[in-house]
Amino acid sequence: MSGRILVVEDDERIRSSMRLALEGEGYEVRDAASGEEGLDMFAEAPPDVALIDLMLPGMDGFECCRALRRSSAVPIIIVTARSDTHDVVAGLEAGADDYVTKPFVAKELAARIRALLRRARPAEEEPGALTFGDLQLLPEQGVLRHLNGDEVHCTRTEFRLLCELAASPNKVLSREQLLDRVWGYDYFGDGRLVDVHIRRLRTKVEVDPAVPQHILTVRGMGYKLVP
Amino acid sequence: MKLGIGARITAVFGLGALILSILMGGLSYFTVRHFLLAGRESTDQHQAFTNANLVRTSLQSGDTGYVVLLSNIDAGTGAHSVLYHRAKTYDSSLAVTAASIPHELRKVVLSGTAATQTYRNPEGTAEIVIGVPIPSVHAEYFEVFDLSDLDHTLRVLALALFAAGGITTILGIALGRFASTRSLRPLAVVSRAAGAIAAGDLDTRLDLEAADPDLEGFTLSFNAMVDQLQERIEREARFNSDVSHELRSPLTTLAAAMEVLETDREALPPRSQRALQLLSDDLRRFQRMVGDLLEMSRAEAGSVDIFFEEVQVAELVQRSVETGFGHMVARGPGTGAPPYVDVDPAVRSWWVGVDKRRFERVMVNLMENANHYGGGVTGVAVRPARTVDAGLSDDKRVEVIVDDEGPGIDPLERTKVFERFYRGSASGRRGTGTGTGLGLALVAEHMHVMRGEVRVESSPAGGARFVLTLPVLPDDDGDDGDDGDDGVHGDGPGGDA
Repeated sequence: MSGRILVVEDDERIRSSMRLALEGEGYEVRDAASGEEGLDMFAEAPPDVALIDLMLPGMDGFECCRALRRSSAVPIIIVTARSDTHDVVAGLEAGADDYVTKPFVAKELAARIRALLRRARPAEEEPGALTFGDLQLLPEQGVLRHLNGDEVHCTRTEFRLLCELAASPNKVLSREQLLDRVWGYDYFGDGRLVDVHIRRLRTKVEVDPAVPQHILTVRGMGYKLVP
Repeated sequence: MKLGIGARITAVFGLGALILSILMGGLSYFTVRHFLLAGRESTDQHQAFTNANLVRTSLQSGDTGYVVLLSNIDAGTGAHSVLYHRAKTYDSSLAVTAASIPHELRKVVLSGTAATQTYRNPEGTAEIVIGVPIPSVHAEYFEVFDLSDLDHTLRVLALALFAAGGITTILGIALGRFASTRSLRPLAVVSRAAGAIAAGDLDTRLDLEAADPDLEGFTLSFNAMVDQLQERIEREARFNSDVSHELRSPLTTLAAAMEVLETDREALPPRSQRALQLLSDDLRRFQRMVGDLLEMSRAEAGSVDIFFEEVQVAELVQRSVETGFGHMVARGPGTGAPPYVDVDPAVRSWWVGVDKRRFERVMVNLMENANHYGGGVTGVAVRPARTVDAGLSDDKRVEVIVDDEGPGIDPLERTKVFERFYRGSASGRRGTGTGTGLGLALVAEHMHVMRGEVRVESSPAGGARFVLTLPVLPDDDGDDGDDGDDGVHGDGPGGDA
């Protein structure tokens, strides 16, 4: 599998070793030592995946994520030295799709990248076009739009999460199922990934995200989409 | 037995009140008695002299009706008179005769001096006798006054004083009790604060505003002590966490570079391949240690990121064993199939609230421990905890049992194995020392965070048996699941007799 990866990491030695390892996995790697440099490189040649260290001098990783998100739906993986709730959740809120914790195993990182680059897996029942509220989901075209034609911008991960829920409307999907289908994690994936992405998705599809009408939480079970 | 400070203060107050009331009571009793008696004496003396004068006049005139006179005197005063005249005695009543007059008094009066004596007669009545010599007619006149009214007054007074003394003593004891509780109250506050600090709440301080002004210095130094303690603990925790964090960066580089080398290992000469193998094995171990240390310092610093989820306990254990075993095989020596998980049918529908990744770590650490010291896991079982209180669903707990086939753990070491870096007597046996020394400590820490417990005992086969217990979530609805429960409860009304 090939793809272009942008690595934003201030430690030169980690950067070099990541480049070596990722190139070994067959990716084309460009690296930047600061958030500002990373944004410039991104503008020059948009990569397929961005890997951003959270602790950067100057513009930090959170800010870098938010800046990227303003202009792009590119999958972002944050690299964090701490898996404390605050850092990971804040990074996900800033727009990241997934995270890895230092020290990570390059194979694990490669697996995360692969999962993000993979196109939505053809589910058992390929979701057809689905309308809920005043929104229309067109999985084939990769488009979510209002009935009046205005497109709703969401990231690839958000879109795939929505497609999984839409593939079986009114049916509860557990966090594990969603982690497996969207992120490629097993039973022990981090449930916070699902929770934060659901929260972000609600701000885009719900009229009042605090009182969701379509993406509902089923306590102790998971989530379901109600058209 | 040593008396407590409270009891001692109370006793001192009580004793003080007792002594004080005895002194005051005694003093007032005797003062009052003295004044009453002196007043009475002078009145009675006055009367006796008047009467003696009457008797003398009567005797001088040669009138022999003095017996009538004595009776008249008695009737007028309520006293009794006795007259000695020319070796004869005359008395006015049957109650008081010449025998009633004390001998010594009579002697004094005979010598020509008037005298007074107070005494108690054989019937127990207090009396005062006043003797007046009448030398002109060679007679002695004695008059006996009854003091029982005065006696009664004094008795009532003594009783009142005694009661007052008793009440004062009781009040003193009560005051002492109050004072001791009151003065010990700051100590109770300090004790509570120290308890909270010992329990891990390092932000506890004594309130300087609320503290007694006399204890300000104490409060200040107590708080200063806790400040120092807190700073030291936090500095240590920060240091641990910083060290582990700083180690992460080089480790990340090492791990990534190592994987590049491992990808190309076939191209290396055999000697280099063996060296690479050693390097990568120990690098993994190093990574694991840093990971464990960080996990530990995070748990200690309290910044535990915990993500509780409600899961079915049977599935949780099954999955933890499978994936945990997979991870374990991937990162260390280990072969074969994951251990069999025996699930008691009673717990099929039981749910628990856990952090799944933490629970997986617990299972991995237990399985690794079994591999290192116990010859591998022989079985995993999930069953209701034996201490289940059938009446209260809140107390329902589930047990997860992990058995190994090693030599077991000495009863003396059974709590120590959960201490960090504890190397028991079994450590020498495996020699290779591939553990981090933190595995079981983390098990205990994680179980504690998840409101569970871990203990170790002997398995029936003689190996070590680790038992995890977790609280079971109460059922959401009565009609939820549980339909496969074919009458195991014997409380049905239609049981066959």
